[in-house]
Amino acid sequence: MPVTLRYPFTELEAPPEYRGLPHIDPKLCIGCGACVNACPPDAILRIDDYDRGTRKIVLDIGRCIRCARCEEVCPTGAIRLTNLFEAASPDRRDHIQVVELRLVRCKVCGNYTDFTERQVKKALQILPKEILEEEALEERVFICRNCRRKGTVDATINATKEVVL
Amino acid sequence: MSAKPKLRSVWVFHLNTGACNGCDIEILDILTPFYDAERLGVKLVGSPRHAHAMLVTGPLTRQCYYGAKKAIKAMPPKPRIIVVIGTCACSGGIFYNGYPIYRRSESGREGCEYPRRGGIIELIEDLRDEGEYVGPVIYIPGCPPRPEEILYGIAQLLGLVEKKLEGEHYTEEVGFELPEAPINERIRLTLREKLRHVVGYFDRDKILEDFMELVKKAEESEKPKEELKKLIDEYNAKIRDVRISFCMRLLENEYWRVRDALSAGKEFVYWV
Repeated sequence: MPVTLRYPFTELEAPPEYRGLPHIDPKLCIGCGACVNACPPDAILRIDDYDRGTRKIVLDIGRCIRCARCEEVCPTGAIRLTNLFEAASPDRRDHIQVVELRLVRCKVCGNYTDFTERQVKKALQILPKEILEEEALEERVFICRNCRRKGTVDATINATKEVVL
Repeated sequence: MSAKPKLRSVWVFHLNTGACNGCDIEILDILTPFYDAERLGVKLVGSPRHAHAMLVTGPLTRQCYYGAKKAIKAMPPKPRIIVVIGTCACSGGIFYNGYPIYRRSESGREGCEYPRRGGIIELIEDLRDEGEYVGPVIYIPGCPPRPEEILYGIAQLLGLVEKKLEGEHYTEEVGFELPEAPINERIRLTLREKLRHVVGYFDRDKILEDFMELVKKAEESEKPKEELKKLIDEYNAKIRDVRISFCMRLLENEYWRVRDALSAGKEFVYWV
């Protein structure tokens, strides 16, 4: 009886618990960058472009060591290790997956902030409704860090002036 | 006659440039009778002077750099194929920013360029700059790659199979889904994190899904606490797995702790 696997000429599936190629589901990814912080070999990159207002999450399978830390930290379950394994390719660009997401534009100064629109939606889903009213939330959320800080400082200065006078 | 001569039997030389030996063991594996790369004509030879292709593993340390360069130069001038095996040789892998790893001066270590730099490509580019001919390069990532994966790469080199992977680029146009869970999202994330400590990342989603279904059923009834206890007892009796039963009991306690605190408006610690 021949023992040899007929592999390249037949289809073969890895076992269900095999940690194979990672894949980002672009419909679920919110671009939070948790996987970027967790990845030990820096296979996942976060590239923010404040001129065009996009954030790129770039996954390079050729750098990935299949440790599944990204799957562990992903809050939405977007990145998963599939049980596919056939990644051989003569071109390194075949190993790249890019998910490009829109950043939030600040309502006050018009610059792009450092969080995506999807991140805001996810945060609003988690936030309990009774903490803040809906309108106050909408006002505060879509403002960049600088404008928010400036608003707080201005409000404090005005308040102290009122007290002094 | 086709322009590209078809490769028939490739003689390979195995070169380790500082790998952890994982990839080397997988290379050994494809020569065993079970995988048997020799039926594709692959033969491991003892000297680079006899080799058509070089199987390279490892992230290319500075110590190995000159030896590897000599070995590639010693190969016959054509076809000089490089088969890059493992994540380390493809791009540096986990060792990518280690001090002993050779990098060309222009490929930075902390940059945001992609495809990520590092590994044997640095040496190949050095050789090409010197005017040496280096033939086709085939990348087989994996840490370590399965023996099947290496076989697949070699079969691709021989023209037996086509590549399956394509670069992917998605923009906002693909649409966005925010899945709604049957329980409050805050509670769900708390339970998910708790479950990660107990069973790990792999099984937690499935267990949590089953638990949320039970909770959904229980919340519809008059007395949710008793109902949930009954449902979980039934579930445990059916599944007959001590580990899952333990997880279900833990989730039940945790769920009522968080939910009672939330509905009473009290402060509580999310996960301990």
